[in-house]
Amino acid sequence: MALQAYRHLLRAARIAFEGDVRVLDAARQSIRQGFRDKATLPASDPSIPPAIQHAEEVASFLRANLVQGKKEEGDMYKLRIHKDTERGDNDTIKLGNQDIKMDGKTCCSS
Amino acid sequence: MFRTTILRSAARAAAVIRPVVVSRVAIGAVAPRVAIRAAAPKAAAWQAVRCYSAAGGLDKKDVYERIKALLSGFDKVNDPSNITETAHFANDLGLDSLDTVEVVMAIEEEFSIEIPDKDADTIHSVEKAVEYIVSQPDAN
Repeated sequence: MALQAYRHLLRAARIAFEGDVRVLDAARQSIRQGFRDKATLPASDPSIPPAIQHAEEVASFLRANLVQGKKEEGDMYKLRIHKDTERGDNDTIKLGNQDIKMDGKTCCSS
Repeated sequence: MFRTTILRSAARAAAVIRPVVVSRVAIGAVAPRVAIRAAAPKAAAWQAVRCYSAAGGLDKKDVYERIKALLSGFDKVNDPSNITETAHFANDLGLDSLDTVEVVMAIEEEFSIEIPDKDADTIHSVEKAVEYIVSQPDAN
């Protein structure tokens, strides 16, 4: 379990910080540190499942909700949006100025 | 001149391990020889055949050498002289399970493939890693 979370996290960092060696190294270092700190806990420790869940969530955040931006000329930034980046379908934009309830499930479908 | 080229490419093809590739090369090498004798302009077509058939898989020895180089650059390995073809990551190299995950990830990067979780969990030794890489057609 924990090892899989570790692998997912390392992989997500590799996707999120591709080409940015300095940040990628720092991310790896901090992932490693986080797991090392808890490596000596007994397997039955109650703090372990939430920690693993946290790791998995961080992994999916890094993968889906983080994009790298590179400054081009002037004030322009070029974003590197990759295949795992979460993309909305922008359906809310068609609804104009109506009040939109965002409950995460039924938005825009009715 | 053509004959030496053919001999050379045949020798190179013999060095390729995969039997399927070898047989394809053999067919490609024999048939066009007749064609070349019949008409010289066919040489270009023959070249294309040779290039097409030149895809070679990874050699087991090469794979081992690359994994060895990778492991000797890994500072957690207890002693670089312990790296052998059958070394076990935990028992022989003194790596723990987290280090093993990192090594497998590094191997992924080295051969530019992605190892699925269930396969990655079974790789615990240099031997297994080499075996897995050799069995992957995408590895390079």
